[in-house]
Amino acid sequence: MTLPLLTATDVAKSYGPVVALRSANLIVEPGQAHALLGANGAGKSTFVKILTGVIGAGHGAVLMNGEEVRFSSPEQARRGGIASVYQDPALLPDLTLRQNLKLTRTPLDEVEKALEQMGLAGLDLNELVRDVSLPFLRMIDLARALAHRPRLLVLDEITAALPTDLAATVFEVMRRQTDSGGSVLFISHRLEEVVTYCDMCTVFRDGKDVAAFVPREGGENRIVQAMLGDAANLVREGGRRSVQDLTAVAPRLRVEHVAAGRELVDVSFDVRPGEVVGVVALEGQGQDILFEALAGDRRFSSGEVLVDGERLVARHPAAAIDRGMVLVPADRATALLPQRSIEENLALTLYRRGRSWGPIPGRAVRTKVQNAIDRMSIDTRAAAQARRLSGGNQQKLTIGRWLTAGFKTLLLFDPTRGIDIGTKHQIYDLIREEADNGAAVLMYTSELREIALVADRVVVLYRGRIVAELPAAADEEELLSAAHGMVPNPADLEVGR
Amino acid sequence: MTTTTALPAPTSSFTRLRRRHGWLAGVVVLLIVFVVLRATQIPNFGGFELRTILAGSMALAFLAMAQGVVVISGGINIAVGALMVFANCLAARFMLEQDALTATLIAVAVIAVCAIISGIMGLVITISGVPDIIVTLALSFVIGGMALLVLPAPGGGIPLELQPLIVGGFSDPLPAVLWLTIAFVAIWLPFKRSRWGIATYAVGSQRNASYLSGVNVANTRIRAYVLSGVFVGMAGIVTTAFTGGGEPRASIGLAALLSSVAAVVLGGVALTGGSGGLLGPILAALILSLIPAIMLGFGWNPNYAEVARGAILILVVMFGGYIQMRKRTT
Repeated sequence: MTLPLLTATDVAKSYGPVVALRSANLIVEPGQAHALLGANGAGKSTFVKILTGVIGAGHGAVLMNGEEVRFSSPEQARRGGIASVYQDPALLPDLTLRQNLKLTRTPLDEVEKALEQMGLAGLDLNELVRDVSLPFLRMIDLARALAHRPRLLVLDEITAALPTDLAATVFEVMRRQTDSGGSVLFISHRLEEVVTYCDMCTVFRDGKDVAAFVPREGGENRIVQAMLGDAANLVREGGRRSVQDLTAVAPRLRVEHVAAGRELVDVSFDVRPGEVVGVVALEGQGQDILFEALAGDRRFSSGEVLVDGERLVARHPAAAIDRGMVLVPADRATALLPQRSIEENLALTLYRRGRSWGPIPGRAVRTKVQNAIDRMSIDTRAAAQARRLSGGNQQKLTIGRWLTAGFKTLLLFDPTRGIDIGTKHQIYDLIREEADNGAAVLMYTSELREIALVADRVVVLYRGRIVAELPAAADEEELLSAAHGMVPNPADLEVGR
Repeated sequence: MTTTTALPAPTSSFTRLRRRHGWLAGVVVLLIVFVVLRATQIPNFGGFELRTILAGSMALAFLAMAQGVVVISGGINIAVGALMVFANCLAARFMLEQDALTATLIAVAVIAVCAIISGIMGLVITISGVPDIIVTLALSFVIGGMALLVLPAPGGGIPLELQPLIVGGFSDPLPAVLWLTIAFVAIWLPFKRSRWGIATYAVGSQRNASYLSGVNVANTRIRAYVLSGVFVGMAGIVTTAFTGGGEPRASIGLAALLSSVAAVVLGGVALTGGSGGLLGPILAALILSLIPAIMLGFGWNPNYAEVARGAILILVVMFGGYIQMRKRTT
């Protein structure tokens, strides 16, 4: 029996109290194309970083051909036979391609050979990286990894930014690598690629490996099952739906054919008062840009946004806020004043307008702030500095500060990311309450199960387009399939174009 | 397998030249305009005038190079002015009444001392993790104090026969050109083309991606500071030769620091790091030094020279930003 090329046993990593990887086990055989799968935050990227020496493992062991290895830098890992193409291009924009290769001591002739095999021999290496488009940078990254002749080639979501023909080139490269006895660790959100091109897959969930099987045998359904786990059954608990009949209600927010660069292409939908519309998308399908532009933080390149039937051109967030459209961003750090008190954070939205001169009306402000604290049941024991609060309480602050000022349209970008289940349910209740009081709510969530819990309706974003609109009752497999671009009726895609 | 995604057409060599060196070309044009302007103000513009311009701006040119290296590596060096004053005092004190040969050796030693001090700054920055601006600001006070300890009052000297060799004689612009060219061609260009140089640009461009590419980030930053120290030392020696003595006042260092940052920005090095070169800052130093002379020539109050420098800096950078914005939208 031959030794496995790579054996990872009980690998774990935490950053302070945050556990990024609980206990990961993975075995890659020589000549195998092995897929690593999992939902966002399952620990895939952390695992890859440990494997390639970017960060150290907190616990556990990695064996290559039976010998324990511990890489402390990406360069060491390359010398040890693991070359990686990371999720973000590791090429420096201010240097030429040639200088970038020199930097990593990559043999130039090997890179040129690799490029030639990929049918990209014409690429000019004297080009500045900033002048080369992203798909080709990914290919250069790949050629660079190949030039080191790795035994294990790690591809972290390389196909996400590639058009189909270049993706096909990647699969060709993977096949050559496995044919010559090397192995590939392949990470992708596109399940059909995994089923077609991988011999084996390991699924991570909540920082643990939960299943390893041959993807062809289980098919996409089994992968989705493994990625979601028991959670699929737990979520059937009560959804919070609108009880009113909203069909006749005029929309509060109407988005018409908006686009932004390449990331967002012709998106249209509306949200009525009293309604919670969920947005479902994989990482990086343009959802962040959609929310930022709606909130006035950046601009759409074309299309119209109508609020209560009137056109809104928000050059600044202040303009959107004036029309009652407020954003709760994913990153709490961009919303809070970490060094200031809970009260000041909650009252911040009240100080926006220079409506009244003179001293701040202390009593009125205190009443509003206290209201928000009560409604959100914020734990005020660590009231002096917002940064001392727990993640859940900080999240309550980012929502609560809009409660003090009032709003008509609430944009929530992954409002429950990284907080515990109890707080999550409090937030779900609050969202529904606000909707019942007449607010229009648009909520992006990276957790599919939340759709069933709070939304009335779902729009699915894929590569910058809305590919499907589904009822909240749609089951998670249906949502996940749509989010992967597997639309039940392909004609929907054509309409978008 | 057919490839449907077309290979990107290689950028034409003209476009490439324009994109990469467009700013530099602008600086050259600006310099020519200023020199011509100055030449028309003087009936017989010749060697004497050229020597005055070049020798007068040489120290700033070296200082701009010193600042440029650190800025390219993604930092900023607040201590260049103080260190130049220190080098000036050190050289003036020990060169006084020495023969030319000993004085030359002293000059080399001063440059080495500056490189070491600057390298220590880089070391402190990388080990402590405290931002460049804080460490170099704090150490600029320490170095300023050291300068006063070396030379408590203006004085010292430099062998008379050495002076023309460094900054040129009465109407001889050649030595100034020669020394600047040597520093640029023999020190900067080889460094820029080496792996060390590429790493310096890489670290200034994106520290994390450089780390992922296997660059030793700490060593690269320290190296940039060492090279910066070499250029500062040269600036100090030039100052000694130009003024014929040492001047320990901190205000001189402060003015020199601000001018060095101005020259770097005007010379096309982005303060965010990772781009530009050192030719731009050298030429920008000449431009900045020409402004007071030109104003004097027009009969304007040269006290407004600082106002003009500031205004030109803002206008030029605004113009650069406008070009950047247009590039992005197309």
